[in-house]
Amino acid sequence: MATTVIPQGGGSDHQRKPGFGAWLCLAPMLGWLILFVVVPAVLLVIMSFAERGTLGRVVYNFSFDNYVRLFGSWPILKIFLISIWYAFLTTVICVVVGYPVGYFIGRLPERWRNLGLTLVMIPFWTSFLIRTYAWVSLLSKEGLINGTLMSAQLIPAPIAMMYTPFAVVLGLVYNFLPFMILPIYTSAERLDGAMIEAAYDLGAGPVRAFSQVIIPLTQPGIAAGALLVFVPAIGMFAITTLMGGGTNPTIGEVIYNQFVKVGDKPYGAAIGTVLMALFLLTMWLMRLTRKET
Amino acid sequence: MPEAVHAVTPPPAVKPLRLPGGPKLQNWLFGGWTLGVFIFLYVPIVLLIVFSFNESRLNVRWEGFTFKWYGVLFGNERVLTAFKNSLIVAGATTVLSTFIGTVGAWMLHRYRYPFKKFMDLLVLVPMVMPEVLMGVSLLLLFVSFKMGLGYVTLIIAHTTFCFPFVLVGVQARLQGIDPFLEEAAMDLGATPIVAFWKVIVPYLMPAIVSGALMSFTLSFDEYIVTIFTTSAQAPTLPITVYGMVKKGLDPSLNALSTLFIFATVVLVLFTQTLKKLK
Amino acid sequence: MKKSALATTLGALAAALLLAGCDKPAETTTSAPPPPTEPATAEATPATDAPAAAPTNTEPKVLNLYCWSEYVPQTVIDKFTEATGIKVAVENYASNEEMLTKLLAGGGAYDLIQPSEYTIEALIKEGLLEPIDHAAIPNLKNIAPEFQNMAFDPGNKYSVPWMAGTVGIAINTDLIKDEIKTYDDVFSDKNKGNIVVLDDAREIVSWALASQGIPINDVSDENLEKIKPVLQKWLPLVKVYDSDSPKTSLLNGDVAIGIVWSGEGALLLNENPKFKWVLPVGAHLFVDSLAVPKGAKHPKNAEAFINFILQPEISKLISADFPYLNPNLPAKALLTPEEQANAASFPTKEELDKMEVFKDIGPQATKVDELVTTVKSQ
Repeated sequence: MATTVIPQGGGSDHQRKPGFGAWLCLAPMLGWLILFVVVPAVLLVIMSFAERGTLGRVVYNFSFDNYVRLFGSWPILKIFLISIWYAFLTTVICVVVGYPVGYFIGRLPERWRNLGLTLVMIPFWTSFLIRTYAWVSLLSKEGLINGTLMSAQLIPAPIAMMYTPFAVVLGLVYNFLPFMILPIYTSAERLDGAMIEAAYDLGAGPVRAFSQVIIPLTQPGIAAGALLVFVPAIGMFAITTLMGGGTNPTIGEVIYNQFVKVGDKPYGAAIGTVLMALFLLTMWLMRLTRKET
Repeated sequence: MPEAVHAVTPPPAVKPLRLPGGPKLQNWLFGGWTLGVFIFLYVPIVLLIVFSFNESRLNVRWEGFTFKWYGVLFGNERVLTAFKNSLIVAGATTVLSTFIGTVGAWMLHRYRYPFKKFMDLLVLVPMVMPEVLMGVSLLLLFVSFKMGLGYVTLIIAHTTFCFPFVLVGVQARLQGIDPFLEEAAMDLGATPIVAFWKVIVPYLMPAIVSGALMSFTLSFDEYIVTIFTTSAQAPTLPITVYGMVKKGLDPSLNALSTLFIFATVVLVLFTQTLKKLK
Repeated sequence: MKKSALATTLGALAAALLLAGCDKPAETTTSAPPPPTEPATAEATPATDAPAAAPTNTEPKVLNLYCWSEYVPQTVIDKFTEATGIKVAVENYASNEEMLTKLLAGGGAYDLIQPSEYTIEALIKEGLLEPIDHAAIPNLKNIAPEFQNMAFDPGNKYSVPWMAGTVGIAINTDLIKDEIKTYDDVFSDKNKGNIVVLDDAREIVSWALASQGIPINDVSDENLEKIKPVLQKWLPLVKVYDSDSPKTSLLNGDVAIGIVWSGEGALLLNENPKFKWVLPVGAHLFVDSLAVPKGAKHPKNAEAFINFILQPEISKLISADFPYLNPNLPAKALLTPEEQANAASFPTKEELDKMEVFKDIGPQATKVDELVTTVKSQ
């Protein structure tokens, strides 16, 4: 019977050099990534250098026009900034709101954990449009919240909640909360209870134990969640349009419009390429600042 | 003292929540906060369930209790077909994503590939990429390759952004794995593939399950990527629902959501009971 | 053994995928149960001929319809399938440009499309439409004379009008008591934050042009410059931009006045008498038509469909769901008095006479969109 010492932490010291079989097994994933992520991205970049033809066709004459136009267009740049701002707000709110939830569920006894996760997911098994319309009935001037507040005589006139930046951020937070909760849950679930106990044993109060031990240990989860919320939120559009009423277009909406309504696909591709560069940059920056886990 | 390794038992589970002393307060606070968040998440859901029984067509005023919208729902072939399509696509996506994600994570963990750092980053890209970009670029790909849009393109598109969720979850779980687990299995005569299947995968189950759950949820509700990559062959529920906005959404859609939630809850209760019986 | 379980699962998945893929375009049709009462072929009025199940039509019994979302009632499609045995696969688009993209991408995928008038103009110019055979569509005579032979398709060589409509002002008279007659009236400071308009750059620009007395199709760079200050005054007052369902915000009380599609206006009028409809000075008409793209694989089936929907009883069904301007005269006669009296659905003759339609403006569309995006984000 083999008995061996188990060193802590897996990792690179135990990895083998890949043989042919190993490459073969990796091939599906690698091939998928290349074919369905890298190639389309390259196609998009190529299209961004093309021109618009009649009837919305794409004419492949190499030209920098789209980029010149894009960077010279203050409205587009402003929309970029606003989208980033909304995404940032959403991310921060999601961290604050979602952290306790992810942590709590992650530290539940095992049979309750899956239940907790499922409960977080269930709202998203309804169609997003219907969910969003439910918010409309809650928030509109003749909706439930205003109705209740008015009959309780707490407010003299209905509050305009729909079609405001508040509604947009609410919609975004509602949509992205699980993306924050899940990574934090994963991080919290793996926490070694012994370390936390040790902290308390050493005399730390709950606040210190939390801020100086627990949060740093779950930092990878927070970082992962932030990435998963921030970047997609920048390009979000359907929900922002429904909740915001279209007065604050996001960059995702602008790109969509170029492809679907205006028919200027190369321009849309250029904006898309800039967005792509932006998010690759964000990812790279976050990887740099993250601790090696 | 060296601990004996049993070839098939995963390492002991992490200690469950029972923080000593003072942190009972923390427990209560976090629990309470979680409850508050759940209320936030569920108020619109409860509302839409309630309105599925509303006599009035508009979801603004309550005008009486009725089951009629459920009848309307079952007569609406388009919505039912779309719902079925969504299930098929989400199901296929989940299976594919789980496979690619799990195998991929294991391979990356197990072997020292060149360009590993690059691959780690690449894997994150579809997860993080704004949906509009993914939709648009995939459409370009499919058009360039002259692929007709339909089930296949839709499943490909969905799998592309879903599998990284499985992969990342599995990778996280692999961080805590006993590095000699596989070797021990092979010492007992298993080939690498069998070792993977019989030893590693059971250990990874929680991560696989949560990744699969995530994949299904994401795929089922995906609108933006779908508009760019589907066609009349495979309209999914979000697409059909969005198209119905023009006429005005009627509560039969609420009825659909209600039934679906109900079915899910029943399923969850069922599996929980099964677990208890085991 | 576990390994074979995996294999069977994968095999089952592959089989499921194949089966799903094999579900041909008929996937989206409904082989509906026989509809109650209404016989699809009974024609009592002499104004229509029996639907042509054209004797010389040897095409397979399939029709690929590419139309606006929620513009062709499912009942109409079901009745067509029942009457002719032709299965209809329906795909939707949300804008003419989207339709063009898919159309140009490829190869005879659609038999019937439903473009707006300016798009038809562009398609005809590019030779992308099949001429339709009037002999196969005897019901064409049901179309009112003012909708036959319109400028964008003289002689109806390529298209048959489906529905027309206008874009006008819907007012919640409970909340707004002023007299509203023109676009400028809508965009008064009093109405700040209380307005919904269509999210359509071309539309918005046309209203601004009309308010300055400039022809709505004259979207030259100078004219766009001229209306920029108008837009800068107007757009900050808007609360909601919505082309899909502008009636929502009006019904919810979140806004009190809006410039919306006539069909939406009609639905509002039907919903609650507090809503009023006004067609402003300089309003324009739009006409959506059915046309057959070049290279369509089932043009005869397409023509059969067109002839079918031109029957008054069928056309009436379309109006019931989408109360736009029905150009089919005998169909209009079949509508209820309330439907016919709906001010949003059916403008008066003098209003009609004054209205223009959009023409194709080609690449200027980009400038138009840019102008509106610029002003919106200021």
